[in-house]
Amino acid sequence: MSDAPEPRDPEPRGPAVLLAGVGAVGARTARQLVDTEGIGRLVLAERRPDQRRAALDAIGDRAVALDDPYGEWPDDIAIVVSALPASGDAPLARLAIERGVPFLSGTEDADTIDELLALQPIVRAASASVVIGSGLAPGLSDVLARHAASALDDVDEVHIARVGTSGPASVATMKRALRERPREWRDGAWHEGRRRPTRELVWFPEPVGGRDCDAVASGIVLLQRQFPDAQRLTVRYGEGDDGANWRRAGDAASWGAVRVEVWGRRGRARDSIVYGVVERTAVASGTMLALVAASLLGVLDLGRPPGPGVFAASEFLEPVPLLTELARRGVKAATFEGVGGESPVTPARG
Amino acid sequence: MKAFRRGLVVASIALLAGAIVRLRGKGTVQPTSGGWRELKGPDFR
Repeated sequence: MSDAPEPRDPEPRGPAVLLAGVGAVGARTARQLVDTEGIGRLVLAERRPDQRRAALDAIGDRAVALDDPYGEWPDDIAIVVSALPASGDAPLARLAIERGVPFLSGTEDADTIDELLALQPIVRAASASVVIGSGLAPGLSDVLARHAASALDDVDEVHIARVGTSGPASVATMKRALRERPREWRDGAWHEGRRRPTRELVWFPEPVGGRDCDAVASGIVLLQRQFPDAQRLTVRYGEGDDGANWRRAGDAASWGAVRVEVWGRRGRARDSIVYGVVERTAVASGTMLALVAASLLGVLDLGRPPGPGVFAASEFLEPVPLLTELARRGVKAATFEGVGGESPVTPARG
Repeated sequence: MKAFRRGLVVASIALLAGAIVRLRGKGTVQPTSGGWRELKGPDFR
């Protein structure tokens, strides 16, 4: 046997990715990106030294680190992917637009989504791309809604429910969403409900099962962009593990799930389609974020934005190729085959 | 005595009717749950 050291992997060829934030979701995003053939090196921008070091150790030679996502970037960055807490997204998006680099956010926060949507004029003026709604919900949930809608002739209701958090920042976002007034799209207008107006028991795939969920505003704007003619759109969040993950401040290994229920007309009958996903929340969110990034870079053929502007990922991702790639990476969707009934979600009281 | 006999007849009829209903019952309560099936390619339906 030779004592010569094994040759190091050659320098990865392909577009370089700046990944801002390597917490629970960012670390999974980084792992999925390095497992994607065609992605070049990763630049991990993280202010917390321990997290930065842990991510570098996990990724190895493919990654280099920056201690400030808002500082100088290497010249070869082809996309900025943000897995930062919600408040960090808009400033980083502005930097990316200034520097002419596409920006991708996995935020779940309603206010941050509104802030990023408000960048539309400067994004278009700069011929840039900003993509939001790239996590579990909003994100994968909206793609599943689109997939269900394609099997119906008309869609009149879409109800999305989600449980699960991935780290302390995700817990803070979900708690804020549950504190704030929920918003619902009903009969062509927005309705703001009272706080916690209509708690509903929602059934997710096992092992999550039934959870109480409350109407929220998070992600509803992106859903309405996709289904502007629907009569009712709702988004609900539930606490994970019966509230236990609140106390654990968002254990990154906790289960997360989404349930997407789409009602409409098929032929002459009213029909519903229910899709769901259950996976470790950080894994599902991180995988989704990485796949959207790879698609924007043209490394995976899952769909591209139609032009410059701010888009939700579900507006351009092709559901079947995306679900195929997600399943290949272990994030699997399911359909509920149960007994039909009335639309189960009661409207938020205005 | 007449009232006692009449009560006895009513109770017998009630018992008989209850037994018939119980024996013929089919448990027609609608099931309230279904099952999840994994989506698979090529259509993921």
